[in-house]
Amino acid sequence: MSKLGRRLVLRGAFGATLALPFLESVGRPAARAEGEDASYAIFFRQANGVATARSSVLGDEPERFWPRSLGPLTLDSVRDRALDELSPYLSKLLVVGNVNTQAFDYGDGHARGALQCLTARGPVVAGAGGGSEAAGESIDHRIGRQLNPDGRDSWFMYAGRGSGWLGGPCISYRGPGDRRSPFHDPNEAYRNLVGGDAGLSAEAQRQIAERGRSVNDLVRTQLSRLMSRPELSRADKDRVDLHQSAIRDLEVRLSCQLDDDRVRALEGLGAAHESTDGDEVLAAARLHMDVAALAVACGVTRSVAIQIGSGNDGSTRYRDASGGLMENFHFLSHRRLSHGSDGAVIADSDRLHHQVDRHFAATFRHLLDRLSEYAMPSGATLLDCGVSCWLNDLGSGPAHARSDIPWVLAGSAGGALRTGEHVELGGGNDVNHNRLLSTIASAVGCTKDGGEPLDDFGDPSLPRGLLGELLA
Amino acid sequence: MRRSTPLCSLALACLVGCQGFVGDTPSRPGDGERRIPEGVVVPAPQTRLARLTHTQWENTVIDLFGFDGPTGLSEALRADSLPGEAIFDNPGGALDVDEVLWSGYQRAAGVLAERATTDEAIFARIAPETGGDDRDRATRFVRAFGERAHRRPLTDDEVSEYVMLYDSASGLYGATDDLHSGVRLVLEAMLQSPFLLYRVELSSARESGTIPLDDHEIASRLSYALWDSMPDEELFAAARAGMLSDPESVAVQARRMVDDPRAEAVFVRFHRQLFDVDDFEGIAPSPDRFPDAPRDLGALAAEEHDRFVREIVFGRDGGYRDLLTSPDTFVNAELAAIYGVPGSFGEAMELVTLDPAQRRGVFTQIGFLASNATQTSPDPIHRGVFLAERIACVHIDAPPDDITPPPVIEGATNRETVANHTEQPGSRCAGCHAQIINPFGFPFESYDATGAWREIDNGQPVDTTGSPPIDGVPTPVGGAVELADAMAESTWVHECYVRHWVERTMGRHAEPEDQALVSQLAEGSRDGSLSIRELVVQIVTSRAFLHRSTREVSE
Repeated sequence: MSKLGRRLVLRGAFGATLALPFLESVGRPAARAEGEDASYAIFFRQANGVATARSSVLGDEPERFWPRSLGPLTLDSVRDRALDELSPYLSKLLVVGNVNTQAFDYGDGHARGALQCLTARGPVVAGAGGGSEAAGESIDHRIGRQLNPDGRDSWFMYAGRGSGWLGGPCISYRGPGDRRSPFHDPNEAYRNLVGGDAGLSAEAQRQIAERGRSVNDLVRTQLSRLMSRPELSRADKDRVDLHQSAIRDLEVRLSCQLDDDRVRALEGLGAAHESTDGDEVLAAARLHMDVAALAVACGVTRSVAIQIGSGNDGSTRYRDASGGLMENFHFLSHRRLSHGSDGAVIADSDRLHHQVDRHFAATFRHLLDRLSEYAMPSGATLLDCGVSCWLNDLGSGPAHARSDIPWVLAGSAGGALRTGEHVELGGGNDVNHNRLLSTIASAVGCTKDGGEPLDDFGDPSLPRGLLGELLA
Repeated sequence: MRRSTPLCSLALACLVGCQGFVGDTPSRPGDGERRIPEGVVVPAPQTRLARLTHTQWENTVIDLFGFDGPTGLSEALRADSLPGEAIFDNPGGALDVDEVLWSGYQRAAGVLAERATTDEAIFARIAPETGGDDRDRATRFVRAFGERAHRRPLTDDEVSEYVMLYDSASGLYGATDDLHSGVRLVLEAMLQSPFLLYRVELSSARESGTIPLDDHEIASRLSYALWDSMPDEELFAAARAGMLSDPESVAVQARRMVDDPRAEAVFVRFHRQLFDVDDFEGIAPSPDRFPDAPRDLGALAAEEHDRFVREIVFGRDGGYRDLLTSPDTFVNAELAAIYGVPGSFGEAMELVTLDPAQRRGVFTQIGFLASNATQTSPDPIHRGVFLAERIACVHIDAPPDDITPPPVIEGATNRETVANHTEQPGSRCAGCHAQIINPFGFPFESYDATGAWREIDNGQPVDTTGSPPIDGVPTPVGGAVELADAMAESTWVHECYVRHWVERTMGRHAEPEDQALVSQLAEGSRDGSLSIRELVVQIVTSRAFLHRSTREVSE
């Protein structure tokens, strides 16, 4: 029996959660708070595929991403590949090959990839291209909906221009056609997490909390009255319900704060989170990760999705090895000076794409560094308790490939998932991406109504089941 | 909004056969069951809780407190994710309040309440001393300020609840006195009230098959449609007096309001969103190919655009055909160089008349042309798709995304390359490209990637001829100037423009019920009898605007 299986059995036996306890924090490392299962999932999304072996307008491009062989991840297997940026964590990684998504009719490769990557759903309206919406809930929201305390929303964070292809932030859905809005400024996310200003006296905190409760009670009453109005449509009532559930009495989390250096970095970020300069965008992403790791550590959320760039990341210009700005990432991924198939060929664009992959790998490493700083009472790190995923929504850029989508998992979700390996999913070209999402969600504790592991996430027409190749 | 970036033309380069509607409102789920009387203006279903956009929220708090300028607090509110089909930022029924936004509203309320109760001038304005004790003063404040914050008179129960809140505030703000503490706590609550954050419509009494809005609901519809803000005192007074049940009185208010500077910002914002002006910032012509192009060409083009819209709409009280055909625009030295305008110019923008043989209207201006171009070449596909879909409301199915680009033809013009790519007889691409997209895009081949005029491409004369489907009929044009004239005469193009205005003023997607109003007003727009401002006045005084449908959304 896999550890996922054993865990679920124990879960049933004790009737609740198995507690991956935690934490207190003033920066790092963490102390703990008991009685809470800390398993969680973080999704870090890159657009436009990766630089991998393929034929393009440049000729035959070499392999620059996937490990040289299946099986154990070693320094040799990832040398000169983008994954060597993650060398310190090879024993914690599970590199998953042959992840294939469904050929849903989105009418656009980026819509199909980005809107499907966490939903495993087709479009609300077929063939709508850039106007598409996904027809179902995303896995990050699904995990948060079941596992988050007090009905809190899962976290969705975004770095990059606020507009662009598919409207910018586009991977997280509350339900069919119900796209979520993200934290854009990481400082805003931090303030939301902390809940109030640090350094206040106990009396000042009491006054703030009491004022908040009084106001919240009155606003809740007003919303309840609105909710009771028979004139309101179901859609309007759903929105009132969402509003009501969003109201929180103030929690000043003095124990959940970043250290001074990071707080200064947050406050000094300015508008970098909406920049087109890749260094600034990734700096914002790293701060998002700092706050996300803290939020997970504090038990505020057990699911986070972090999206970098719009549907095709067509505005961000990452920097090359010399520090110069490249063409925007979408151009590079097409290998041409345009958002399409026309335009002049960009010389060396496959190597530049690889450089972008390295930027993302290094940024993912930052997340793993942060998660590793929080210590669990068992001696494990926060990284080990959950699973963090660096994912793409395409296999490669120019072809908008929906096969062999890169998914790099880090952390075993408390022993549920294999680590230290490069595995390839079986089944040839069969669609299995929805099963990957189910497997991740189950690994962190999501179940169906009857308590069985969640194995049916995504479009109902897709094959169900967990991916045994990934389970420990 | 969502379609505001250049489409992925690897995909766009070829389109499956064009299906769907042309020049008509797209059908939506459930439409088939609706029986809509032909030619009769009726309201369409829409939300009863239209959440304010962040721009509307910002403007509202400015007007509510009488601030001199923006608070900047709306910039900290988390951005909205808009529905895929949304062009404008105010689809009220799609804007919600989640945890993140709620906490933003809460923090902003705290800042505003503190500012209003620590600045005695503001405090005296919102809670004037008129005799009586502090509690009397507070009660009057609750009624007066509450009416403006809720945009309707408070019920007695609501007044009592706010006064109770006032009473509970003693000692909750440190050493602040009870009057200021109480007012501050009430302000925090009112600023988080759903009646401020949403434009709420609860009227339900039916009359002749529709639901007439009450006077205060009409006042708010007007003010947010025309000003993106709350009603002013004159509009409130008209609502209190019951005058807004009379369409003539509404018309008087509407005409007053479109002459107000606040309307100017709304009209400019409408056209920025309609014409994807935010995309101008992505204009980046190749420095190698265009070494003289200014680095901030996008920003200059956006300024040119805004000035042009203001000049046509407010300076000349012009109509849509003027936007489509006027050779006038604004240039500084850098834009003048691109346009080839003779004379001496500095940094400031000046009104000029361009060569009418080369330039007519907004689509022959630099912004549209350069934002729909690659770094080196014009992009007739994106130019054509934009004009067909956004301007003529001709629906084009999304393309497949597995098209392999054909080999480049050495020595070919840009047009020849695109045509070779997309118009191969019998290909999946030819249907839409040969009939719709390319005929709308090729007439603009006389403008390069910076928007400058050109007559030679790759050593050959440019070919700007085409037969775009104007009102569904292939109409030969010799170039962009003739296409602009043809569009100015097109019923579909004017209907499309009116439909967009209906979407913006109603804060929802166009629905089949809108067609009668759209058709009526489009005729006036096309024949020149309706200026843009008067067109909008006609929308906001229509039965569709002043009434609710008896159907609710998603029924």
